[in-house]
Amino acid sequence: MRFEEELVELLPRLRRFARGLTRDASDADDLCQAAIERALKSREQWQQGTRLDSWMYRITRNLWIDDRRAAGRRGQHDPIDDAVTQVAGDGAAEVEAGALAGDVDSAMARLPDEQREVVMLVLVEGYAYREAAEILDVPIGTVTSRLARGRETLMHILGEAA
Amino acid sequence: MTHDPATIAAFVDGELDDLTARRIEREAANDAALAAEIRRQRELKDRLRSHFAPVLDEPLPDRLTQLLRAEAAVDTSLAERRAARQARFGGQWGAMQWGAMAAALVLGLTVGMQPWGPASPVAVESGALVASGPLANALDTQLASNQPADAATRIGLSFRAQDGRYCRSFESAAVDGIACREGEGWTLEQTLRGSQATDYRQASSASLAAAAAAMMAGEPLDAEGERAARDAGWKRGRGE
Repeated sequence: MRFEEELVELLPRLRRFARGLTRDASDADDLCQAAIERALKSREQWQQGTRLDSWMYRITRNLWIDDRRAAGRRGQHDPIDDAVTQVAGDGAAEVEAGALAGDVDSAMARLPDEQREVVMLVLVEGYAYREAAEILDVPIGTVTSRLARGRETLMHILGEAA
Repeated sequence: MTHDPATIAAFVDGELDDLTARRIEREAANDAALAAEIRRQRELKDRLRSHFAPVLDEPLPDRLTQLLRAEAAVDTSLAERRAARQARFGGQWGAMQWGAMAAALVLGLTVGMQPWGPASPVAVESGALVASGPLANALDTQLASNQPADAATRIGLSFRAQDGRYCRSFESAAVDGIACREGEGWTLEQTLRGSQATDYRQASSASLAAAAAAMMAGEPLDAEGERAARDAGWKRGRGE
């Protein structure tokens, strides 16, 4: 009973995280659904007394990564990824910045997956660097460097637009 | 401006040790470029947060809640489960569960709040009101410096009381108060009706802050002190 209740309490935040990862409301709920199903199935793996939220975020994020990889193998190509490299270039960046002024969604879409997930965890969900590193299963230095690059790109696109 | 962007970012994210954070704060007062960079980073964070915040208020889709309700429904068919348990445990379990439910109900009436059901934030132990369930969990682990904006329990101040115990003020839907560490648990020193109803929030925060100030030895813990105290299990310090 507790377990389900805690999951329900967590759901709004989990949906927000999933929305940021997938950038699409119904994809995000599909992801949440898969994550809940996975969590219910493997609930013995969650240790009482440890944080349920970190565990759920990790499940959600891993399912999403699996899905992205599978899509990549199927040859589906995310057109957004092409744009990432452009933003780094000077001239293109200016054009992009103008066109995208004020649009957080488009700006987030410009980030590579591994930067976007860190941005969501730290800047939006409010996790400490160490907690984000645990959720993502990467060293803390990886979190800080990805976060720095993600921030830079976002500030470039959004920051100067106003 | 002598700080690299990563340090400024860590400052904005509350990840710096207290000494460095204070130094940057001081420098920013006299360094317009540094102050501007801090502002820029904060604005980005605020902007992202407010962009995603509306998701939290959306009604939860049925297909998600039903997954969890279907599971929960198993627990509510009490008759069936009691029969199953009685077969296995000779009826003791069922009786204990009813006892616990009755206790929760009595507590609810005694304290003058709703009975909270299984995940009650408050319990009675040896005649004292103590934190339990989600509240105990939040008091154990949650850092005021680093809690989700929508946390079910919000930690206010963490401080050392004059008698050496660590104490923390908190707000939640059912109950607000001040809890102090006793052994492995949290004794509730002050309780007020929960502050989720927004009108109460300020009044409640103010009276809790006043009560905390009266109990406190020295200054409240800063982010670093709070984290260190938590990592050490909220044990009373040496020499207390």
